[in-house]
Amino acid sequence: MGESILKNANETGPEVQAVLAVRKEGVSGREASRNLGPSGVQRLKNWLANSAVMPPLLAFAGLFILWELLVRVLGIEAITLPAPSSVLKELATSFVFYLPHAWVTLYEAVIGFLLGTLVAFIGGVLMAHSRLLERTLLPIAVLANVTPVVAIAPLFIIWFGFGALPKILISAIITFFPMLVNSIMGFRSVDENNHEYMRSLHASKWEIFMKLRLPNSLPYLFSAARTCVSLSVIGAVVGEWSGSTQGLGNIVMMASNYMQMQRMFAAILMLAIMGIALVNIVRFIERRVLSWHVSEQKQG
Amino acid sequence: MSYIKVEKVYKRFIRRGQQTEALRDINLELEQGTFVSLIGPSGCGKSTLLRIIGGLTDSSEGIVSVGGQTPQQAQSDKQFGFVPQAAALFPWRTVLQNMNLPFEVNKKAGAALTSEREDPVELLKSVGLGDFVHAYAKELSGGMQQRVGIARAFGSGAPILLMDEPFSALDEITREMLSYQLLDIWETHKKTVIFVTHSLREAVLLSDKVVVMSSRPGRISQVIDIDLPRPRRAEMEDTEEFHHYISLVRGQLRERWG
Repeated sequence: MGESILKNANETGPEVQAVLAVRKEGVSGREASRNLGPSGVQRLKNWLANSAVMPPLLAFAGLFILWELLVRVLGIEAITLPAPSSVLKELATSFVFYLPHAWVTLYEAVIGFLLGTLVAFIGGVLMAHSRLLERTLLPIAVLANVTPVVAIAPLFIIWFGFGALPKILISAIITFFPMLVNSIMGFRSVDENNHEYMRSLHASKWEIFMKLRLPNSLPYLFSAARTCVSLSVIGAVVGEWSGSTQGLGNIVMMASNYMQMQRMFAAILMLAIMGIALVNIVRFIERRVLSWHVSEQKQG
Repeated sequence: MSYIKVEKVYKRFIRRGQQTEALRDINLELEQGTFVSLIGPSGCGKSTLLRIIGGLTDSSEGIVSVGGQTPQQAQSDKQFGFVPQAAALFPWRTVLQNMNLPFEVNKKAGAALTSEREDPVELLKSVGLGDFVHAYAKELSGGMQQRVGIARAFGSGAPILLMDEPFSALDEITREMLSYQLLDIWETHKKTVIFVTHSLREAVLLSDKVVVMSSRPGRISQVIDIDLPRPRRAEMEDTEEFHHYISLVRGQLRERWG
């Protein structure tokens, strides 16, 4: 029996070492051959490694199954922690109820994100070109950043009412700083050789910005955008908590008041999905735009 | 009248409250279409002199004239093809897009130059990079990148090429190969080249004129004309005359050690 395996192993080439190793450890020949099989585990591994979607999807599925089992085995009541199956059921049956709320939150987050990052981008351009402007304006930006946005939110509700505007502004404030800092860094950190080359051609400041500083800053900008886009959802929800009539944050707050756990978890789940979707949209654009960049090629 | 004229140029700057003299009383006259090397120890101001001629830095004192213009005027007329130490290729551009960069900026000045523009692909082929026209700059080795930088300078239509130790980051074998490629491409174009280097061999092999500089303060110790026949080939490096010039330059550099 052992000999026949050795013979097989010789034919399969690289797996010889594995067979011998397994045999040395005293595993029976039968087990060894099953482990190798038609290299089923290896094939699964390869398939997973080559798929971008499968590993995280499997991880989520595993997490949900674990959660479901925990709730069932330990007999946790829905009032404490609802089973994921009941949350999904709630979401499926009342999807029409959730959708307009999700739309409101998405709108607030995305508009806030666009506003905050756009203003930060313009500020970054100005501050990257003038140390004086940076020294003057950056402290204000730092002040806005260190002030907890949760503390400003009620103020904004008083000023701007219960509509979308205060949520958009809170989202904008929370996304502003990371984008500002990264864009200043991106515009500044141009290679000195490249900058001097542009100067030797008597390129204008505008040309140097468009041809050198902006492309150079793109990896920084996208890295900030990924952070900012998830922050923007947080901003929208914080705004909705402080005073709102609609949105997923509003649902979470109301459901919490009435101990409607399924509803609360359904809204949280939608927020999480929204965050993942937004981050992946940014990743998708980034991959298209930065195909030249080192950080992209390594993953290819 | 000489093409490039440097008269009584001084360069001083303040470092940690102390005034340093980077260049003292530099006088130099260069003819059109010649290959001139600036050689000297680190800190002798050879790169600074190159940058003053190219209008990238101002001199503290003195006059520089480039074809009758100030360096800044010449720069705004795109008279300079600059090749820095690192190739200055933009990583988000392909080799061909990098070759086209000089024509995309400061277009007003480039109008005249664009008409005599050379085919960038042919130029790349002539330096052995025909297969890499559409490769991204960072996919190329250091030597290949520098070849693109040199081809770009020759293809930019600029009559004066300023090269700041373009081979210094490369290994010995690549350097040697590139110096012959540079000779080849220069023979066909006959542009004015100012070439900053640390290498005696490169200076003598490439140049019509070697400007030997010494440091602290940076000044010219001697200008040596290299009367070796052109076109220069690899065999020339074994001749007595070649070694004569090498030792001449070396002696001049050593004299300033003490």
